[in-house]
Amino acid sequence: MVASGLAILTRQLTKIYPGFWKSQQVAALTDLNLAVERSQIFGLLGPNGSGKTTTIKLLLGLINPTAGDALVMGKPAGDQDTRRVIGYLPEESYLYRFLNARQTLDFYARLFNMNRAQRRRAVDYYLDFVGLDPAVRSRRIGTYSKGQARRVALAQALLNNPDLVIMDEPTSGLDPVGMLEIKNMIVRLKEAGKTVLLSSHQLADVEDVCDRLVILYRGRVEIQGTLNELLEVKDTFQLEARGVTPEIQAQLMEIAQRNGLTDVRTGRPRVRLEDIFKNLVDSKRTTERRKG
Amino acid sequence: MHHSFNYMSLVADAVIIIVLVAFILSAFRDLARIGTGISRAWAVGRIAFIEAWHNRMWAIPIVWLVICLILGFTIVRGYTPGSEVRVYLTIFIRAQEIILLLYLGILACLSLPRERERKTLITTGSKPVTRLELLLGKIIGLGAAALVMLLAMMLCTWIFMKVVDHRIRSDAMAMYKTEKDHYDALARHVPPDFGLLYTAKHGVLQAQNYITGTLRIAGLISYLHNPPIRYMKGGSTEKVYFEFPSIPANVNYQPDFLFRFRLLPLGHPAKIHITAIQRDNPMLTEEATVKLNASGEAAWTPKHPFRFFSYTDPQTGKVFNPGPVVLRVSCPTFHVYLQIGDGTSLSNASCIVTGVNAAMLHQHGIDYILPKPTPIITGFKSNGWQEITGPGKTGRTPPEVASWEFAHLNPLNIPTDKGDKFTVHLICGVSKETNEAIPTWVALVAYSRDDPSNPVKMLQLHINEKRVTDVHLPRRLLDGSPLIINLSSIVHGHWLKIRTNSVRIMQKPSTFIGNLFKTELIVFCEVILLITIGVVSGTALGWPVALLTTLSCYVLGNLFHFVSELAKANGFELLNVVQMHRLQGVWYYQLGSFVSGVMVHVLEILVYLLPNFTRFSPLPYITASRNMPWLFLAQNIFAAIISIIPAIAFGYIVMRRRELS
Repeated sequence: MVASGLAILTRQLTKIYPGFWKSQQVAALTDLNLAVERSQIFGLLGPNGSGKTTTIKLLLGLINPTAGDALVMGKPAGDQDTRRVIGYLPEESYLYRFLNARQTLDFYARLFNMNRAQRRRAVDYYLDFVGLDPAVRSRRIGTYSKGQARRVALAQALLNNPDLVIMDEPTSGLDPVGMLEIKNMIVRLKEAGKTVLLSSHQLADVEDVCDRLVILYRGRVEIQGTLNELLEVKDTFQLEARGVTPEIQAQLMEIAQRNGLTDVRTGRPRVRLEDIFKNLVDSKRTTERRKG
Repeated sequence: MHHSFNYMSLVADAVIIIVLVAFILSAFRDLARIGTGISRAWAVGRIAFIEAWHNRMWAIPIVWLVICLILGFTIVRGYTPGSEVRVYLTIFIRAQEIILLLYLGILACLSLPRERERKTLITTGSKPVTRLELLLGKIIGLGAAALVMLLAMMLCTWIFMKVVDHRIRSDAMAMYKTEKDHYDALARHVPPDFGLLYTAKHGVLQAQNYITGTLRIAGLISYLHNPPIRYMKGGSTEKVYFEFPSIPANVNYQPDFLFRFRLLPLGHPAKIHITAIQRDNPMLTEEATVKLNASGEAAWTPKHPFRFFSYTDPQTGKVFNPGPVVLRVSCPTFHVYLQIGDGTSLSNASCIVTGVNAAMLHQHGIDYILPKPTPIITGFKSNGWQEITGPGKTGRTPPEVASWEFAHLNPLNIPTDKGDKFTVHLICGVSKETNEAIPTWVALVAYSRDDPSNPVKMLQLHINEKRVTDVHLPRRLLDGSPLIINLSSIVHGHWLKIRTNSVRIMQKPSTFIGNLFKTELIVFCEVILLITIGVVSGTALGWPVALLTTLSCYVLGNLFHFVSELAKANGFELLNVVQMHRLQGVWYYQLGSFVSGVMVHVLEILVYLLPNFTRFSPLPYITASRNMPWLFLAQNIFAAIISIIPAIAFGYIVMRRRELS
């Protein structure tokens, strides 16, 4: 695969944080080789200290690699032109507390050299896009709830209509509805041809949206592949159907025993708690809206 | 001894050049995009400004005003109206300087470290903004904050001074009316003070723009009634010329020059720098620096005395007198004044030739030669007053004459009145030794130096102590050649206190608000320089260390002259501890001396590397004459720019490889 066709390509990317003594040095990332295709949602998984955030910072040029190199959208990581086509959502909403949402987005839009009209349009559009309550838009970010600040942080990441969106724990601090909205948004971004690099501890989130993923442990790649490749249990078959009576269930068990299948289980499938929560909140909100 | 070349400044210059070259090489790409980068830098600056506003920047001018008013009303009591304005201006502008330096210096040191701590630098750094733009943005933002605060403070100062000026003018008019009424009613013999009318008309805020000339003083110095009064200021550019016109040739002796000055303060260690010049052959010179002893005396023997005193023709073997010898003497030691004798007698001469063969001189019993009895002091650069004596009682002793030379005058820059006359302002102090009841009259002679056909203008004027006297001179004097204006007292016992700008050619007066604005710009230059140092310190250091670094830079930048002086003396000598000389042969003394010498030179390099903050001193101008020359403003702006550029270059080099998170 040619590098220009990839959104991200890293070669032997290594980061060692120096210490005063050699024993105090920390290898945050060791020989990372990644290839992320364009228009893909790529998951970056791993426990705390596995090197996810370090990888992202290296891709953004916020820190310098100890060895190896990285290409982002075909250009060296950290290059000013590269950063024009990247949107970054940090793991915490690192925003200026003394600015309001509009001023914040206006500031970041200025860094992309947008003119006044473009800035105004982009600010309004993305504040609506992330669903920030219009009533709080003129309040200082210091007074926001974590979820509101997160939405502003997300808006700033999308402000330049980036080709590559890097999201570090995008759903942290959000309620389940917000989480779901973010997940939907990520899928929409993919549909719009954007590449998304998603780093998260929320395995369910990653499972829901990612096409490919990599799992890091102590700075090294442990597992890499598409979601299907990783999650599919090759020697097991699952059947789901409605209207299954106890008689049919008994017949199915009998067929299984007759054919010598092992570990056969039958039962009722369960919906996910997230779905119940979302349905409940959605119906409540619809009712409230109707009541006015 | 020739002045040694200052290698430390060369080292500092070399370091600065290396930093600039490294900056240009490493920031090449960022510099190439500076066109679009400026708007990003401005965006960053806007945020720095808003942050400063949220840090209650708006309260600073209020605090400043309260402090100034309290200080002003406490201190000003008992001052004369003119001094009152000077004190107010000193308080208002000095307080601005201190408060802004403190507040914005701290903000600058905090700005980048705090962004790192709050991690907002991560979000900003993920956008297409370069390190250079971040650095410039911080400086621009805080600079804008400084400018806004300065403008607010300037407005307050202007309003306050206008109120004070209005009060002074009203008082002056009332006083003038009273004096005039009394004079008209024959209750008072002295006519009303026209200075009061002048103050009432023009106020005390209008600045006068003027051209100053080069001042020289010539004449006899009278010692008869008073202690001697002619001083040469140490550490200044003043020079005294001793001329020996009649040292006979073919004198078989070893001539020495003996210098005798009265020192102020007494016993202060001082040096003099001597340049001996063969007047008719200026290529023949010899230089030396000698120390004066505690009595202010020093002897000096030229290395080639006969070069100065006699010349033997190699063909005929005849001995000639090569002509008059001039000794040009200056004093490089600061904080010392040398009293110059007039040379009329042995006891009153500050320089004599000793060891003379009296027989050869045909003077019985006299074995010394006196200089010409009119030593001239030139090179007045200080604001200190010098005095010139009035005429002797009988009129036989002429008064001293102060002479100003105005070269390169452009008549287009000098306004003339309807009578085609230009205005010269005369401001002198007066010392009345006798004839206290008589008003002081001066003789003013103006002529064109190189144009004898241009008639000489002679005037006799009545002057008031330190009040402006208008003198109107014909415009023709400005044409063609340098204008010379001589001034002398014509009243016995009345001495004139003069300084370089005591006689000045007036240009169009400028407004107080304009000069105040220029003053604020100079304060701004100083503040923006400190902001730059603060922001640059914050690129690599945490805020406490950045604060300490910035403070050190400011202190060292203010000790520029002090450290330069220290470095002239090496080792323990700079401590000026006399007892230590006993230890001079001991190894640990020598080692200590060496180490302290090295440390002082390191300090000297540092001082040359850092901006010289002493140059940003607008107060002497605005308080003395309410004037701020464009040249001084331009020099300050230039100085700020050439200091800021290397600082930014250094900051960029440090920040370039530094990680933003």
